[in-house]
Amino acid sequence: MNTLKKIISRLRVQAYLDFMWMTRDSKLCLINIVSDIILNLAGVAAVFLLATRFEGIGIWSRDQIVFMLGYAALVRGIMDMGFSYNVLHISRRIGRGQMDHVLIQPQPVWMAFLTEGFMPFSGIWAFLTGVGITAWAILQLNLTLTFYWGLLFALHLFTSCIIVLAFSFLWGSLAFWAPLAAEEISSRAVNFMYQLKSFPLDGLGPYVLLSMLTVLPVGFVAWYPARQLLGLETTGIWHTTAVAMILSLVAFVAFKKGMKHYEQTGSQRYLGWGHRN
Amino acid sequence: MNLKKHWKTMSVVATDSLHDQGFVLIGNYTLRLLRVVFLISLWRTLLPEEGDISGMTRDAVLTYTLIAEIFSGFMSVRTGLDEALWRGDIANRLLRPVGIYGQFIAEMLGDRIPNLILFSLPLFCIAPFFDINPLPANPTSGGLFIVSLLLGVLIGVAFDFIFASLLVFLEQSVYALMQIRDAVSVLLSGAIIPLAFLPWGLGDALTWLPFASVASAPLRIYTNTGDPIFLLSLQVAWTIVLWPIAHALWNFNRERLVSHGG
Repeated sequence: MNTLKKIISRLRVQAYLDFMWMTRDSKLCLINIVSDIILNLAGVAAVFLLATRFEGIGIWSRDQIVFMLGYAALVRGIMDMGFSYNVLHISRRIGRGQMDHVLIQPQPVWMAFLTEGFMPFSGIWAFLTGVGITAWAILQLNLTLTFYWGLLFALHLFTSCIIVLAFSFLWGSLAFWAPLAAEEISSRAVNFMYQLKSFPLDGLGPYVLLSMLTVLPVGFVAWYPARQLLGLETTGIWHTTAVAMILSLVAFVAFKKGMKHYEQTGSQRYLGWGHRN
Repeated sequence: MNLKKHWKTMSVVATDSLHDQGFVLIGNYTLRLLRVVFLISLWRTLLPEEGDISGMTRDAVLTYTLIAEIFSGFMSVRTGLDEALWRGDIANRLLRPVGIYGQFIAEMLGDRIPNLILFSLPLFCIAPFFDINPLPANPTSGGLFIVSLLLGVLIGVAFDFIFASLLVFLEQSVYALMQIRDAVSVLLSGAIIPLAFLPWGLGDALTWLPFASVASAPLRIYTNTGDPIFLLSLQVAWTIVLWPIAHALWNFNRERLVSHGG
């Protein structure tokens, strides 16, 4: 209970700081809102335009594709809102030697990561875009919304976010051993997920598809959960959750190993006059 | 113009990017390869094997996608000027004994060379394994593609300087504007989806914009799915229009430069 209180209290502090940052300048505020919306829309626009032009893609109707895109936009929105300030792009923090900033704080590392990236005001716009697209698709599809379906939706969304986060941390752990070379590796891993999350994977060959659902689990960011939620896939309801758990475990082990290495070597990125090399 | 300095800058940047550890390079290239595989499978799902849609056969679209990835560094032109503004090291650049345009162009080309050798060339060679013909539609298309690609790079660089000038003028969040620009320009340039496949006649309108001259034009020339005379004329026109604007805006705004980062 005490831990939960601490988490909420830290989230409140982050929310306050974010609100102050967001409202310090009206122009900045506007640019921030517009850029987030445009970015999230642009991320799904290509597939939407194709689905519109070809009246669907493969077994997916246009509206089903829009649902998947909305789901993908929601995942991105949640990551933007909950894991900013380079928590999602963790290799930047590690590579730049900024883990020290976390380690000197009187709180566990996991709590810092869970709360430091919370941006409920400046980060919510991409999330709202996702809500809009998903709601529109649900209306078009005439989906029957039951409590069970809602739960399933929430569970899938949560596990999809975990997969993106774990994937980033897994790759990002490389920065412990190669701080300079791997400083941007999390961004690349996340960009890879974001770029491909909107594509329906049905046409992929069996081996590539398998790799997209295991080694590079981009299929679980939107495609597979959307298939489940739309009833296109009737089996494997727990696959997304299982993959999220396995990937989190692997990422946890890799990160722990990296931290052990970091404890011995520290960061050598900063030069005597304060610049990074 | 002293090309030796530019050549040196290019080679320094080219070798510098190889300082990345092997696994980082391999990781990057794997991700790029997978992106191509995704797009290829998408086209194979969408397009019929025979016949054409909007003037493009499936084979032409597959070649288009492959060549777009192979030359992606030259079709999404980024000189790094916006990042130099963001980081604040633009001040150092202005002190160097090399012209600002030449300096950034040399850096950009230097950055692309290792990718061209280590990723693009092998991808070109393995294309037949994906059942894709990577060669241009005919020798003339191949020759004109080079000209078109160079014009596209020139337009892209002019764009970069115009954009950077606006960043300085507006004094707004460089990072946010860079992100918007990247997201929108890739979509509008036809680098991912051929413009002919956009709905509501959007492609016809977008063809006239400079974004399309950077990526769509050279790719259409390569695959012989567009009129090369029209596309090249349009590119020349945009080059003539954009460069004076870029030069004027940059000259005006460089005096307003303040450090955006550090």
